Amino acid sequence: MSKRPGAYKGEKLEWPHKIVSLLKANDICSISFIPDSVIGRILKVAEKDPYFHFTTLAREEEGIGIITGEYFADRYGVLMMQSAGLGNCVNALASLAIPYQIPFLILISQRGELGEFNACHVAMGKALRSILEALGVQHYTVNREDELETILNGAIKTAYTSEQPVAVILSTALVGWKDEK
Amino acid sequence: MINRLEATRYLVEQLSDEPIIASCGNPKFDLFTAAESRKANFYMWNSMGMASSIGLGLAMARPDKKVIVLDGDGAILMNLNSLTTAASKAPANLVHIIWDNAQYQITGGQPTHTAGKADIEAIARGAGFKKALTVNTFAAFKEALSQILSQPGPWILVAKTDSSKALGRPPKSPVYIKNQFMEALRGA
Repeated sequence: MSKRPGAYKGEKLEWPHKIVSLLKANDICSISFIPDSVIGRILKVAEKDPYFHFTTLAREEEGIGIITGEYFADRYGVLMMQSAGLGNCVNALASLAIPYQIPFLILISQRGELGEFNACHVAMGKALRSILEALGVQHYTVNREDELETILNGAIKTAYTSEQPVAVILSTALVGWKDEK
Repeated sequence: MINRLEATRYLVEQLSDEPIIASCGNPKFDLFTAAESRKANFYMWNSMGMASSIGLGLAMARPDKKVIVLDGDGAILMNLNSLTTAASKAPANLVHIIWDNAQYQITGGQPTHTAGKADIEAIARGAGFKKALTVNTFAAFKEALSQILSQPGPWILVAKTDSSKALGRPPKSPVYIKNQFMEALRGA
């Protein structure tokens, strides 16, 4: 369903349900996260399903280590965080996940682009894709709900084929933004 | 003071095929010297601080196995928040050993904050660990280990070590290290 950006409260949202069912369909049962309002809406749906294991992180970087340890035991994970969190993850990606070839999905809630009210999110939001590219991490952006299935399924498959982390960025065009000025 | 290599050798003798995550720097060098042919060793070549997080992930996903983390004081000081996460998840099979020689030994012995006021056992307790010990002698290390390996955790063991040189050098291919480790885990 389409919705008006900035007015997501109270609206019935389909994308959190779609994301959760696509994770499950791809055998991703472990969710390591730092919440924001977007990730929170995904968690709210996932929490109803005992299939998922949840780890609240204190800092996003921990998630790279935790997902690596789970992968050693053939458990597949997703790291969910806001774009700001990528800055806290860089060395763990560069020196653990990438060289040891640990495949997983990084699901990033975008800040600092369409509809941002907080100037302190803009520089990291603008740098997000450049940082991923500098590391050689493939990334795909979801702007519309009808793209979600193709992009999530495709990104997860490529992560496992390449044995590398792959990022999917949820744009505010999809998830909306706060009315705050 | 405890000799890290001697303590690592003793630890490995007490284990069978339990996975060991060895932090970058001297913990992994001494693990390789102590148990070169052991397959269930994971050697970290960088990502300083991540040993505790890798160990937590593995412990949660393999509750049937004790998971041993060999960390250093400098490395855990870089990821102290991971102690709060591990204490909250509290997998009973997690054994986190920190070799604490109060210095960044590998870069020339610059003091870490444990040379001053920081107390890792106290930090771990504050993070929520109920079972945390500090040992200063090899005899105390052996006694602590016998308790740790026979009782549910999660455990933190801070072992005050000297700064003997660690001469072992494990394989340098990350993918080789990963594959060998995962094969050992699948067979176990």
